[in-house]
Amino acid sequence: MRVIIEEIKKDIRILLTYPAEIAFWIISPLLWVVPLVFQGKALIGGLQSTAFANLAGTGEYIPYVLIGGIFSTYMFTAVWSMGNALRNEMFYGTLEHILSSPVRPIYILLGKGLYNSLLSTFFVTIQILICVFLFGLDITLQKIVPIAFFLVLLMIGLYGVGFIASALTLLIKEAQGVLHLFEYILFLFTPIRYPVEVHPITRAVSLFIPLTYALVALRGILLGIEFDFVKNSLILVALDAIIVPVGIWIFMRIEQRTKRRGTLAHY
Amino acid sequence: MVRLNKLTHYIRAINAENIKEWRIEWKYKPDFFRQFLAPFVYLLPFFLYGVALLGGRFSEHLRSLTGVGDMIAYTFIGYLIMGFLNTACWAMGWSLRKEQWYGTLDTIFAAPVPRWVYVAGMAAHSTCHQGLIMLLQAIVITILFSIAFQTSGIMLVFLIVALMVIGLYGLGVLIAGLTIGLKQWWVISEALSTLMLIVTPIAYPLAVLPVFLRRVSMLLPTTYGVMGARYLLLGEQINIGLGMIFIRLAVILVVWLSIGMTIFLLMDRFGRKKGFASLY
Repeated sequence: MRVIIEEIKKDIRILLTYPAEIAFWIISPLLWVVPLVFQGKALIGGLQSTAFANLAGTGEYIPYVLIGGIFSTYMFTAVWSMGNALRNEMFYGTLEHILSSPVRPIYILLGKGLYNSLLSTFFVTIQILICVFLFGLDITLQKIVPIAFFLVLLMIGLYGVGFIASALTLLIKEAQGVLHLFEYILFLFTPIRYPVEVHPITRAVSLFIPLTYALVALRGILLGIEFDFVKNSLILVALDAIIVPVGIWIFMRIEQRTKRRGTLAHY
Repeated sequence: MVRLNKLTHYIRAINAENIKEWRIEWKYKPDFFRQFLAPFVYLLPFFLYGVALLGGRFSEHLRSLTGVGDMIAYTFIGYLIMGFLNTACWAMGWSLRKEQWYGTLDTIFAAPVPRWVYVAGMAAHSTCHQGLIMLLQAIVITILFSIAFQTSGIMLVFLIVALMVIGLYGLGVLIAGLTIGLKQWWVISEALSTLMLIVTPIAYPLAVLPVFLRRVSMLLPTTYGVMGARYLLLGEQINIGLGMIFIRLAVILVVWLSIGMTIFLLMDRFGRKKGFASLY
């Protein structure tokens, strides 16, 4: 537990050294939505789309993409921060010290994961507050509990994804680009920007990604779109139960492999 | 004669940097091949978003605004041209920070060439690399989505894109300069590229932007690059002539390069004076 707390403290200190990063993560997910709003206006000339309503359950595409943009923050910080965590330690010259300390590396990663969860929640809260005050998003206390419930389920699943991303960094070293690609793949196959029902392939692949169910549920709660609460919760729990152990297993295998081959400190 | 020797010396250094970068990239093969795949995965969500809104590929409203009804062709040209933004924001901006992470920044800075030469080397490398990626992307997407282009003005399109890219070098040099002082380069790169992606009429015409953003848009080389390319390749209706596009691009090129170089040289001098060039 002490290792995890110390890791969180260290990451917070590093973040506070670069305050521009905090402003960036708060504002960017909202800015990423803006081109989609303009594209929508250019394509349909209004704020409602019948074709969109047939797929998404709501014709109002702006709140749809806004919610997708806000909650995808969790995914980005998991993929980016956990994926780059070990690479950054490598660049700082501290990776070998950390991994040779008498602590299981998984606890260090867990610390980084918890730090990301806290940070993402902080960013998302501010983004939602911006939407409440600027765009009149309606949030009642009644909605906060189910939102928190789905967010916890989402974050657990993302730990698994983060472990895999970290393992990937140990394996191929220059993983930034691959993490970017991974991010694009999630954009393509999850309902961040559009309902995945738009194409049979996106619909099929999205079934295996926890973010799909979390976004369906969160949009359902916030926009009043009909969804199956129990079904979405159970699928998310089941996916978490698979992804987290798989992520830990992959990380441990690759970490042992790099240590055995002596490539841990290789660039 | 001395000047010519100096220039040759710089060009050799730029080329050495370019080759070094190719070699480093080739060392990380998964990432090297990923760079050719990523633009496709990046582009598809924009197409699918359009399809979700329209229920198909063609938009009557887009046709009424631009004269082009094919949402896929319209969006594709925009994002294809914007690929060069990566050269400025990522490759050039990242150049010095990367050397710092590798632990080679001080060694490189001690070499007998001005520091902008390294950034120029990265620009040369990234332009070649990005050009190859875009060529592949253009061939695959055009065949896959059966996009029909007007090919009569293709040489002018290359000229417009070349002017736009040189203008963007100014932005790249500026980001590299800011990185010396502000260190966390990717925040600057990401913030500037996000703003440019919003203001440039990539997947929508200028007409849908609020007036103040339209004014900002007129100061960007990417606006003229995208508009000019779409005008020549798809016959988009635009409210300025082709001649004016060239004139404005030339002016922007001079202004952006001057601002970029000035800030780079100022930050470099400031960094050396304060002694934080190699600080993290």
